[in-house]
Amino acid sequence: MTVKTRSTSSSIPGTCCDARTTTPRRRSPRPRRSGRPGHRDGLVTRRRALTGVAGAAGLLALGACGTGGSTGSGAGSGSGAATGAGGGSASGGSGVITVGSKGFSESWINGELYAQALRARGYEVDLKTNVGSAELIDAAQQSGQIDLYPEYTGVIVMTLAGEEELMDTGEGTYDFARRFEADRGVTVLNATPFENKNAIAVTRDFADQHGLRTIEDLRGIGDFTYSTYPENVSGGQGYDAIVAAYDLPNMGLQTLSIGLNYQALEKGEIQAADVFTTDPQLLRSDLVVLEDTKNLFGFQNVVPCLRTDLLDRVGDDVPELLDTISSLMTLEAVQAMNSASAINRLDPAQVAQRFLEANDLL
Amino acid sequence: MSGFAPAGDPVIPDYGDVSQCVANNDLFCADWFAAQWPEVFQPALLEHILMTVLAIAIGFVISFLAAVLAYRKRWLTAPIGVTATILYTLPPLALFQLLVPLTGLTLLTVEIALVCFTLVILFRAVLSGLTGVPEDVKRSARGMGMDQGQILRRIELPLAIPSIISGLRIATVLTVSIATIAAFVVDSGLGSPILKAISSPFNTQFIGAGALAVLLAFALDALLTLLGKALTPWTKARS
Repeated sequence: MTVKTRSTSSSIPGTCCDARTTTPRRRSPRPRRSGRPGHRDGLVTRRRALTGVAGAAGLLALGACGTGGSTGSGAGSGSGAATGAGGGSASGGSGVITVGSKGFSESWINGELYAQALRARGYEVDLKTNVGSAELIDAAQQSGQIDLYPEYTGVIVMTLAGEEELMDTGEGTYDFARRFEADRGVTVLNATPFENKNAIAVTRDFADQHGLRTIEDLRGIGDFTYSTYPENVSGGQGYDAIVAAYDLPNMGLQTLSIGLNYQALEKGEIQAADVFTTDPQLLRSDLVVLEDTKNLFGFQNVVPCLRTDLLDRVGDDVPELLDTISSLMTLEAVQAMNSASAINRLDPAQVAQRFLEANDLL
Repeated sequence: MSGFAPAGDPVIPDYGDVSQCVANNDLFCADWFAAQWPEVFQPALLEHILMTVLAIAIGFVISFLAAVLAYRKRWLTAPIGVTATILYTLPPLALFQLLVPLTGLTLLTVEIALVCFTLVILFRAVLSGLTGVPEDVKRSARGMGMDQGQILRRIELPLAIPSIISGLRIATVLTVSIATIAAFVVDSGLGSPILKAISSPFNTQFIGAGALAVLLAFALDALLTLLGKALTPWTKARS
């Protein structure tokens, strides 16, 4: 079965999935990016269930480590509690920086970039990959188990802060995220030039035929079919919301596992598809991404989130290094790295290592 | 001071070409596997061996002491057995995750869980090996003037070896398998490449890591069998 769906699934690494099964925040749950491509795949479904278990445990961890680690000063003691088994007396805290990454490939690579570059500067780094969704990894950071991890600005605003109104600009989103995190003892450094968010793509032929440039242009072109993953029909950025926001009664719906979008587009079975902007498959196919003039999809640049108390125990070279890495994370660079993972099937650590070497950071 | 990092001018490394096999996600791409062996699969295999051997060694020490204790004080058999059984029936993943709050995302968490699963098998194997020693053999040992400790060391334990070894074999194969789930807690072992390929299925990665786990289980099983034979030369002579 997997043989047939390979091209399908190769899109996953580019997607940004906070397995958002758990956030019935206020009225609108905004299941943004809850989509892991290939949800219907038994394995993936199982995996999500597992992540759920991990979630519960991780939140417990918050309590346990909060109390356990409160004797020392801040992050030092916290991470000591969390990593105590391996690190022993990490609570003194000078050396070890604990880096985390979320549950998908783009984040794994990002975590490796931070970890390997910091190691090259002589810091002892403990990398915890695949910690889980935004809520989980945030809880781990708040409890001091993780010092640093890459997060998407829009996810901070929508998921962690629970904001319903999105900001109009990437800068506004960034500023909100920075202020929100600063109040919680987390410093947000510079944002990456690239962002990874949902977008609507159509084939170039279809775009030329109807003169499409923005999502608004889809209005009145006659009936056509849009596809998204099954979890993204309702919710703030789902099919329903797009139809409502852009007034597109002519847009029909077909749900497909994410990777299948591309094949279906090329075969003409659907005319528009929900894609992720850093998906390597987007590069390979001749597709046009329609501009989101109403800002339904928000802004999703990556920022290094680090515990502010970490800054006190490391040199200025740490934020400088992270800023350098962020500035190198352009859309092209991230697409290339995602592609190395999804297409070349390299390990996230290998992808990051070669990128850092090429840019003289190792 | 903060804001958007000015777009730098990244040098994008050449990640190389993809073979047709990898592009098609064929069943097994030997070229890819060979290329990834030194950096991905070999370290994962070594980590897996370490995780397994450590868990079996610790589990064996605990089970052995518990079994000898239960052998001496028979009333302890039921409580120890029930405790070990309860630990054994916990779903491995749930146990891993329940331990995370206490011991963090660490190898310690993994080892505690793995050891828990070996206990019931090893405890029962050692105990049934000891209780299986014929009463008349023990009587003759006592008749030769041996005390309780001597009987244990020189009579009961050697005769229990076949049972202990068979318990170790089952526990080892089980641990090799369960240790793949450890990747949910630490990025280590053969579960790690499997886990990383789940969200983006790639057959070679599943089959490569899976086959290594199977081969490892066979190899450790064979080693234990040989060890059992070496430790009980009399069984060979007898047959």
